[in-house]
Amino acid sequence: MTSVLDISGVTVNFGGNRALDEVTLSVREGFTGLIGPNGAGKTTLFNVISGYVSATSGDVVLEGASLRARRPAAIARAGVARTFQTPRMVPDLTVRQNVMLGLDGRRPMARHALEVVAWPTAQRAEGQATQAADDLLRQFELGHLGDVAANSVPLPVQKIVEVARALVSRPRLLLLDEPAAGLAVGDVDRLIGPLKEVAASSHCAVLIIEHDLALVTELCYAIHVLDFGRVIGSGSPDEVLHMDTVLQAYMGAGFAAASS
Amino acid sequence: MTATFNRLWDSRYRVLVLGVLAVGLMAALPNFIDDYYVFLGCEVMIYAIAGLGLTVLMGWTGQIALAHAGFFAIGAYGTAILSADGFPWPVALVLAGLCATASGILVGFPAVRLRGFYLAIATLAFGELVQRLLILFASVTKGNLGFPVDLIDVGIGTTLTLWYVSLVILVIGVVALSQVGRTRLGRMLRAVRDIEVATGALGISASRYKLLAFAISAFIGGIAGGLYGQLVTFLTPPIFSLDLLIVFLIVVYLGGVLRLAGPIVGAVFVVLIVEQLQDLGSWQRLVFGLILVAIIRFMPGGLVSLPSLLRRRQRGSNSTGGGGLLAEPAPVRVVDAIPGGTP
Repeated sequence: MTSVLDISGVTVNFGGNRALDEVTLSVREGFTGLIGPNGAGKTTLFNVISGYVSATSGDVVLEGASLRARRPAAIARAGVARTFQTPRMVPDLTVRQNVMLGLDGRRPMARHALEVVAWPTAQRAEGQATQAADDLLRQFELGHLGDVAANSVPLPVQKIVEVARALVSRPRLLLLDEPAAGLAVGDVDRLIGPLKEVAASSHCAVLIIEHDLALVTELCYAIHVLDFGRVIGSGSPDEVLHMDTVLQAYMGAGFAAASS
Repeated sequence: MTATFNRLWDSRYRVLVLGVLAVGLMAALPNFIDDYYVFLGCEVMIYAIAGLGLTVLMGWTGQIALAHAGFFAIGAYGTAILSADGFPWPVALVLAGLCATASGILVGFPAVRLRGFYLAIATLAFGELVQRLLILFASVTKGNLGFPVDLIDVGIGTTLTLWYVSLVILVIGVVALSQVGRTRLGRMLRAVRDIEVATGALGISASRYKLLAFAISAFIGGIAGGLYGQLVTFLTPPIFSLDLLIVFLIVVYLGGVLRLAGPIVGAVFVVLIVEQLQDLGSWQRLVFGLILVAIIRFMPGGLVSLPSLLRRRQRGSNSTGGGGLLAEPAPVRVVDAIPGGTP
């Protein structure tokens, strides 16, 4: 299978601080894990891919097209969706409207004029967007919350809604930043089950930052481990979690020596 | 029968019915009040129209923008000058509105980079600049001598003509903006306001939408300015000073900056209160100030939030928990939100 995303030699310097150091990895369809200790540069890598941070050197390629030096909105429209560690909801819009925001940037700006005068084609596009949002919410068992204001649903639900918003545009690449953090066990299942279905049916590549290793192991066909801005291990979950370098980074040198 | 009635009443039709009634009332009103109140009514409607522009820019898009008196001045002078040059008044009004739009986009460019306090200063400077330019280009604007406005009259007197023209424009503005608020554009502007960081990831270019909000706001401000020329009949640069901007801000924030009804309620309140307080002489400003402070303290959402505050208080006193006047609605718990969910 060909890769959806290729990152080659990406380096990011923040002043004198090297946040990412020659990171090279590729992501295929299905779930890929991105793990590593705090401060390893996982979120920085997400920021580079989605255009929020520009790399000092190196390249990010989505299905053959370079994303370098493109703005976040353009990268999103090229098929990259992402979530944030803390959910970003528009509080006075409904849950449904927040999900629809995932599609709103795809229709051209000139269309607003037709929408405001309720032109039939514009009405139809709006109807389709509403339908797509409702369908996805139902898949996540949140269909009954469509009309509720986003700020009156609890944080874990907002996190799931944010994932739905990222999925609604059927992206080629989805970047999930700690989607399960702060979720109770039952909520994690409610998130992951439908997520797997949608990602599979839309042939989406999902790159997921997650600290819950059991979840990552179960979900991902491949894992990349970052430490101090470098990739210190790549491979199947089983391979990666037995690498000495990875054990050292996670547990300290003594543990790695004792277990090998 | 009652069930059908209730369903209709609860739905959007209520807004429609109330809207049609209000417009009908406004159309008939000049027959029952004397000329002075017709004049005040025109003032109310013009402030309300100007306020609609600020609702879009400040309320929905969240930009602290203080250039509105400048757009208003461009609309007023533009309409007066163009119609003196022989353009029919409606054409002059629209052209002046478009001039204001162009200047709005120009002012909007710094807004793409600046925020908060810095944006406030930059836009405030624009308002001052317009005032200076009006004096500087005295060959066109007649500077401090003042520019007499050609008054429009469709055969019912100039004040009544202004009343109906303002009413029509106000209705068009409210209907068009309520459409904006309900469609994709309304969602995207609110996203720029509340989750600007995330807009890029959603494929939304925040800077373009800020510029669009500035353009819409400036166009509305310009149109309101064109109408204002008809009201004051004689334009001088000092009319468009900081004082006018403050009136706009009071109209919008007193009424409620997030809702389209806000500037309308705010304009009625400001014009009528100032009118009632005329008799107080030198105490006028103090009393007006105290009323402002009280409203902002007890109704942060503006006067339009009064019904929901009262409803909430009523519900609060009936339930065992008690809500209090400013209590937030109880959040939905995960268990409630997800069917069969366990905490």
